[in-house]
Amino acid sequence: MTTTATGPTPVMDRLIARTVHKRRPLSVHFDLTYRCNERCVHCYLDHDDHGELTTAECIAVMEDLARAGTLFLTFSGGEIFLRPDLFEILAAARRLHFDISLKTNALLVTKERVARLREFGVRRVQISVYSDIPEVHDAITKVSGSLGRTLAAIPLLLEQDLQVKLACPLMKENLLAYRGVMALAEKLGIPYVLDLTITPMMDGSAGPLAHRASVSSLLPVLHDSALHGCKPQPNAGVDGAVERSLASLGSTVSSGIESSAYEDLPCSAGHNSCYISPYGDVFPCVQLPQAAGNVRRERFSDIWYHAPELERLRGIRESHLPVCSRCEIRSYCERCPGLALMEGGDLLGAYERACELAEQKARLAGVFNPVSALHKGRTAAASYATSGGEIASLVADSSPN
Amino acid sequence: MNTPSVLWQKNPALAWREIDEATVIISPNDSVMHELNDTGSFLWKNIDGHRSATDLASLLADSYEVTSDVALADTQSLLEEMFSRKLLMPVPATDGESR
Repeated sequence: MTTTATGPTPVMDRLIARTVHKRRPLSVHFDLTYRCNERCVHCYLDHDDHGELTTAECIAVMEDLARAGTLFLTFSGGEIFLRPDLFEILAAARRLHFDISLKTNALLVTKERVARLREFGVRRVQISVYSDIPEVHDAITKVSGSLGRTLAAIPLLLEQDLQVKLACPLMKENLLAYRGVMALAEKLGIPYVLDLTITPMMDGSAGPLAHRASVSSLLPVLHDSALHGCKPQPNAGVDGAVERSLASLGSTVSSGIESSAYEDLPCSAGHNSCYISPYGDVFPCVQLPQAAGNVRRERFSDIWYHAPELERLRGIRESHLPVCSRCEIRSYCERCPGLALMEGGDLLGAYERACELAEQKARLAGVFNPVSALHKGRTAAASYATSGGEIASLVADSSPN
Repeated sequence: MNTPSVLWQKNPALAWREIDEATVIISPNDSVMHELNDTGSFLWKNIDGHRSATDLASLLADSYEVTSDVALADTQSLLEEMFSRKLLMPVPATDGESR
């Protein structure tokens, strides 16, 4: 028998390696609703109910997940406490022995509800906090008094020995607030994550991107010495059990993959993790909205093991990426296949945001004049076009009248 | 505690999953992850609140072709270790029942 603190350890590495090799859905992100009691300006979801899975359907999905080998189960939304059957679902998750994490804005957390979370074996709760300044946080959530209510929930959770983590997506509206969130987390003795990822809506529309901070405006964050000791945290799927060893640290990223077990894979999506929407659609990842099937029409395991979309994804290797595989600063890059598809239009391609960030991170690490493969290619193409133009001009000039 | 007749049950607070012959267990209170090998997984699967070390050793001997003595010693050793890590607990004796 081997025992270890959860985290990027030999046990976790072996588990990841085994589940990737055998294609087991180790980690599943399950959104129970897109309805929400906040209206965050950067949110990538609509807030309507288009026919959420019923309680019985949710439980049937979880039974299938348990049979398929899922251990880490994250319930998120929307705001999960808007599901009146949340505790019924958690009770079933407990009965099926999942390691349970929640993502919430905590507005509806009460002492009684926390006691029930504890009863149903919830291990971790991630709470979105955009600033320690009420005016900044509330302007993002569009709910007056929301920061106060969110923060009031944290001691209730900690009193019940639940692990709490703050998540702070950084955008134009709160770019300078991250130090306050860091200080808040340190004061509470809990981990935090600063997330630079603002994504398009799930339907592909670009509305949230208007709130995305430019790479140049992120430079103070990237250069902040308080964050230099921090390492990227593993992806959302497996990070359900990695916080302990990083408890005193934060991170400027939330989508990196640390485990060597992933080797040449772009990420865990579709290999040992996936996302299920409130309507039963199964996606490789919440940031890769290519539905592989729907649990109302097929069993999860049939989708997971047989969907052509997932098979195709599983065939992709980092070394096959046409541009990124020859990028000299690839090790500084947090390329996300889903964002490559949504922002660059190509699952295998490079995209501007990742390249810009990689260049800044490489520069910060001391690389002289770092240029991504994407930008090198563009420079070469522009140079060719320019020189081609000059030749044409010379030819024209030397043409006999 | 680890007398052969004590009945054992899994700690109900644990998260766990058997994935391809290995079992991974997580204690939610301390986030410690435990990994059981093939034999450990076999025992884990059969710990149901109704079996003692003797019962489990008998199953182990049948499945792994080891002698009863070896199976009992291995079983007791593993149960002891799992108990010390709070993965297992003895089933409380009911009135009038002797074990």
